[in-house]
Amino acid sequence: MNLKTMLGAATAVALALPAYAEGTLNLYTWSDSIAPELIEKFEAQTGLTVNTDGFNSNEDALTKLQAGSSGYDIVTPSQHFVKIMIDEGLLEDINAKELAAYAQVDDKWKGQWWDPENAYSIPLAYGTAGFAVNRDVYEGPIDSWEVYFTPPADLKGKVASLSYPDEVVGAAQLYLGVPFCSEDKSEMKKVYDLLMAQKPDVAAYSSDNIENRIGTGEVGAHFWWDGNVLKTRNDGANIVYAEPKEGLVGWLDSFVVPKGAGNVEGAKQFIDFMSEKENATIQYNYYAHSSPVELDLEKAKYTPENAPELFPTVPVEFSKACSPAAQDLVTKVWTDLLQ
Amino acid sequence: MRSARVWGLMPAWVLMLGTLMVPLLIVAAVSVAERGSYGGFAWDFNPLSYREILFSEDWDGNLVFDPKYLSIIGRTLLLAGATTLICMALALPVAYVIATRPPKTKALLIYLVTLPFWVSMIVRVYAWLIILGNEGFVGRFWHWIGGEGTLLFTPGAMLVGMVYSYIPLMVLPVFAAIEKLDPALLEAGADLYGSRWTTARRVILPLTWPGLAAGAVLVFVPALGTVLEPMLLGGGKQMMMGTLIQTQFGGARNWPFGAAVALVLMAMVVIVLVINARRSMSREVRV
Repeated sequence: MNLKTMLGAATAVALALPAYAEGTLNLYTWSDSIAPELIEKFEAQTGLTVNTDGFNSNEDALTKLQAGSSGYDIVTPSQHFVKIMIDEGLLEDINAKELAAYAQVDDKWKGQWWDPENAYSIPLAYGTAGFAVNRDVYEGPIDSWEVYFTPPADLKGKVASLSYPDEVVGAAQLYLGVPFCSEDKSEMKKVYDLLMAQKPDVAAYSSDNIENRIGTGEVGAHFWWDGNVLKTRNDGANIVYAEPKEGLVGWLDSFVVPKGAGNVEGAKQFIDFMSEKENATIQYNYYAHSSPVELDLEKAKYTPENAPELFPTVPVEFSKACSPAAQDLVTKVWTDLLQ
Repeated sequence: MRSARVWGLMPAWVLMLGTLMVPLLIVAAVSVAERGSYGGFAWDFNPLSYREILFSEDWDGNLVFDPKYLSIIGRTLLLAGATTLICMALALPVAYVIATRPPKTKALLIYLVTLPFWVSMIVRVYAWLIILGNEGFVGRFWHWIGGEGTLLFTPGAMLVGMVYSYIPLMVLPVFAAIEKLDPALLEAGADLYGSRWTTARRVILPLTWPGLAAGAVLVFVPALGTVLEPMLLGGGKQMMMGTLIQTQFGGARNWPFGAAVALVLMAMVVIVLVINARRSMSREVRV
């Protein structure tokens, strides 16, 4: 092959690429968060090929978008990261309030601080972060974060935390009465002291494989999310989601479209599709986290009776987008803790 | 002729420059850039990242010498070093046994050594999570002999995972070295009234040293940057350099500092390689 044919071939490939992108939709969502059944249905309806990729922390999603040309058409970060992504100019203005999906969204999630104009995001799921205990290991009360941060005898050495500070520090702040995103060093020192005192009783700081650790009783208490506790409990694990009186850390994940996405129209189609009553109900039953859009209550699987995890009776405080100074203090707490 | 050689080497040069040197220079540039408020960076010159490795602000806002990153670096070196030594100690007898088998058995055994590489790294580490867990057979045995608590989330569990992951990289070069060993030299050692131990120490070890040294580099270098084993098996209770760098690009939103730590890690790798190269050169001269 001479140089000319090689260049010709390369050009042909380059020209073919955009055409290829039009036929596909690349999702970057929380791992295993979208019902596979719905992806198949969407593919059958639109003829698009859907590729899914998963992340396990908001930080991973943000870093990937900041690194540029991620190739994704839809990402599903939590509220405080939606705010950061908008401020950093990483998202496409999809004029979300004009989408059919928007009409399905519960009014209380409209015009929120992370997207006041409803231009960039359509909510997908919401819930809380708290902790679960395995009742084979620990039988005592679980009405306060005190159980988690200053473990009683049965839980000594059997507490597990997450590998990222985001919600763990938030929970410690709720327990201590320190506001989220505090820039006050002496307040954050208290958070550090609390976590440091807890550390000898922590078996692992890990966000992977949580089901097994808490389900088998490898640990007795684990920092976790409401719907995951519900799912694992329904699979037969003897675990309970705590309702600490100091409150739970709230989150709400939304569909957003990264700037420069290859298939913005396909992304909008998918968001509308996921928000249709029937599909949203299938998604709710699969994901087991609360839904911010209207559901078909006849078919919805979870009720306050069979899924108390999703209907907390204690206050819920949503994570905020911290200033760089506040974020540095969170990082300092975490690095000093695990140094 | 000359031009043919230059053009013939072009692909190698393009590969070296484009995929090795350019990204490296980008990392170096980011390490002295200004950090962005929410991650990312801006092209301004700011070498503070390197100061941060030694000095950081305490809870009262004073800039003080803070050995926390040094202790993370030290711990990483220790873990990688221990992994390398254990791999050496285990690989030498294993490679010797394999090398002295008949050809067919030898081929099969070597194939078995490389077998784990066909499985994804993360799956292999998860396998150890199951084996060492309370329900796994090692965990059960531990409880049966009266052990308490879990075997997971300990430095030992982390080390087991690391040795398991990297030992094939030690066995293969050591095997190659032992295979080249002339059996006549071993007989000569015995004829000269050397005990088996003396023969091992004075004949086998020096002659297989190049293999051990190559294996040591192959194990030590990736072990320095390991993330999975400390997180999953070690329980993530203490940071390693890999996790520290990951945190800087993620939650800490401090890319320049992450890049600076990555360069420090790389400098350590280069030092190891240079020492190794010099040692093998001086040996060749002596022989």
